[in-house]
Amino acid sequence: MTELEAGRTRTLVPVRGDAGLQRYRDVLIALVAFAVLASLPLFTGSKALLDLVIRCSAYGLFATSLNLLVGYTGLTSFGHGMFFGLGAYSFGLIMQKLGVPIPVAFVATLAITAVVAAIIGAICVRLKEIYFAFVTLAFQMLIHSTILSWASFTGGDQGLRGGIARPRFLGIDLSNHVHLYIASCALLILGLLAMRQIAQSPFGYTLRMIRDNAARASFLGIDVWRAKLTVFVLAALFASMGGMVMALFVSGAYPEFAYWTISGEGIFINMLGGVSTFLGPMVGTVLLLLLNDTVTRFTEYHGIVLGVVILFFALGLRKGLLDFVAEWFAHRRDAGEGR
Amino acid sequence: MTRTRTPGISRRSSLALMGAGAISVAAPWVARAQAKTIKIGMPTILSGRVAQLGTSSRNAVMLEVDKVNAAGGLAGRQIEMVIRDSKGQPQEAARVARELVNTDGCEWLIDGEASSGSFAVHEVARDLGVLCVHTCSEASSLTADPKQHIPNAFRCVRQGIHDSIVGGSYAAAIAKTKGLKKWATCSPDYAYGRDTTGEFTLYLKRFAPDVELISESWPKLFQPDYTEVVTKILQAKPQALYSCLWGGDLTSYIDQANIYAMFGQMEVFAVNMADYTALTVVKNLPKGIHSGNRYIKTFPATPENAAWGDAYKAKYNEYPTNWSWQNATAVMFLAEAAKKANSTDGKKIAEVLAGLTIKCPFGADGTVTMRGDDHTLVGYAIGWGTTIPQEPYVPEVKAGDWKTIFELEAEWKKSKGYT
Repeated sequence: MTELEAGRTRTLVPVRGDAGLQRYRDVLIALVAFAVLASLPLFTGSKALLDLVIRCSAYGLFATSLNLLVGYTGLTSFGHGMFFGLGAYSFGLIMQKLGVPIPVAFVATLAITAVVAAIIGAICVRLKEIYFAFVTLAFQMLIHSTILSWASFTGGDQGLRGGIARPRFLGIDLSNHVHLYIASCALLILGLLAMRQIAQSPFGYTLRMIRDNAARASFLGIDVWRAKLTVFVLAALFASMGGMVMALFVSGAYPEFAYWTISGEGIFINMLGGVSTFLGPMVGTVLLLLLNDTVTRFTEYHGIVLGVVILFFALGLRKGLLDFVAEWFAHRRDAGEGR
Repeated sequence: MTRTRTPGISRRSSLALMGAGAISVAAPWVARAQAKTIKIGMPTILSGRVAQLGTSSRNAVMLEVDKVNAAGGLAGRQIEMVIRDSKGQPQEAARVARELVNTDGCEWLIDGEASSGSFAVHEVARDLGVLCVHTCSEASSLTADPKQHIPNAFRCVRQGIHDSIVGGSYAAAIAKTKGLKKWATCSPDYAYGRDTTGEFTLYLKRFAPDVELISESWPKLFQPDYTEVVTKILQAKPQALYSCLWGGDLTSYIDQANIYAMFGQMEVFAVNMADYTALTVVKNLPKGIHSGNRYIKTFPATPENAAWGDAYKAKYNEYPTNWSWQNATAVMFLAEAAKKANSTDGKKIAEVLAGLTIKCPFGADGTVTMRGDDHTLVGYAIGWGTTIPQEPYVPEVKAGDWKTIFELEAEWKKSKGYT
């Protein structure tokens, strides 16, 4: 019996029990988080705070989905922003050109993203490390250039103009700020919960195995290419959801949404928050947006401040904030057990 | 037992983190509006490659705001400008604009965004119903397209279509007298470059039908090396060249084309040359480049314009830009409208602004008008002239005819399905 098999036999039963319990716990946390967020407008009239949460939803979905690739599968994508942009543009164009109800546009956008991600993923996930990173970046620039060049359809560098209509559906009016806020929170919480389930499922553990040792996973009978492609498409779907939230927030879609800087921000958020915990990217998102909003209020030299913060995390902590906190807790607990 | 999952954080700690986050988020957002001063918010680009757009816009706004405040303010209220950087990103522009209104208590917006950012701010104005004056976006569709029209937004900016009509007729007249039949174009490869070049050649051919376009080059925006473009044009041997390259791109292009002595071999029409940002940066400014006026203190050739240019230079130790006069004009419009309405209520100001004509140093006849039906600036000084290597750089500018502009603009709107 190999070490791995021995480990699996010993932990098989308790893990299954744990997983069930943990799922309930996750759902409970999600419900509480949603209740807290949804009741926020009752306590504060601050529209800026609601705006911040809406933007956190968009970037949080995007950054957490990127972590499915970077943290869980070891696929460092430099082009994940293309799906953020694709989501925003598909949704905006469908709403502008077809005038369908919002849920239809939402589902159609996810379908389009799935198809595009499957095609791009099929090519990219065969590659490793820097090659994967650069080919995803190349596809991102391809999509960005297409948006710029196809001006008659996408509006070119001026973006989708004229606003995105937001007809009522099921009593929800997304042109109302509070409705949009609650819908964004709901999408964020549902998206995070779904990604959490993926990460904690046997498939999620397969991804971790691929990250740690793809050859070993392959020898155990796992179709590595298929698993990578699946997570690539899943991550794209959540990034696309983030793009849709952003399109609703700004009532438009702009080529900058599909530019490499968005992918860069995603990577930066992951660095800030940490990639070894599920909520790391979410913490990173809140940190980055708060930092950005606060610093740009006072100075136009925000680049220097953000640069110093990156240096602090990269050279000082050598990990993301939540990684640091989690390790500190683990260290304290171990010390407590040792006593 | 061996732990098989990576360490996560407990519910307690995540709740604690969320609580800490909520407190830190809520603290700065305590909106306070002071009735005495009126806050005007201004999102613009203050960092990155086109930061000069934002800084020269800010300078001009502050120059005028100081004058208004010294004269007693807007309907008795002193102006306080809140100017913030959007980094040229539309989503940031939208966020900053919303923050300025919702958090900082700004009652009006001056939108110093270019291109896509201005459309993002336009949507914020649509959403919040706040009075908004665009001061940097030259994209004609922002006001020409009826889908964009909202009662509370105005555009105080020169327009691509106006420049093309004046440029086309000016160039056609020279083409006829000098017999320039073979033309080439070289413009940046994005919507502004393609649209402006297309419109220019359209009007050039309309006024001079025997002109032939023999070569087109589309260098990328912010391209550092133009060697292949220059050699391609030289090989095509055109008699005249049109370009709407601007800023750093235009100056790099001229410096590199100078090495090939390009400017002696053909007539060059560069619509964005006559702006101090380009004129003062080029190493050896060739004589005789034809250019549209961006901002030049010798056109309109009035003491008011010269005095304004000098006052700006005295205060900021640099010449104003095209963006400067537009932003200054916006403040002049707002001040005049507040005086007429005797109020600072956004709705009343918007009603007065539509169709308002004011005295202005940058007007073709000493006045400019905010056209009522599409809320856009007309009657500003617009013309073309040729360069000389030293001040005043463009000694004589031939003014465009606004009657022709109006006629052809109406025709253009029809062809685009805007009317």
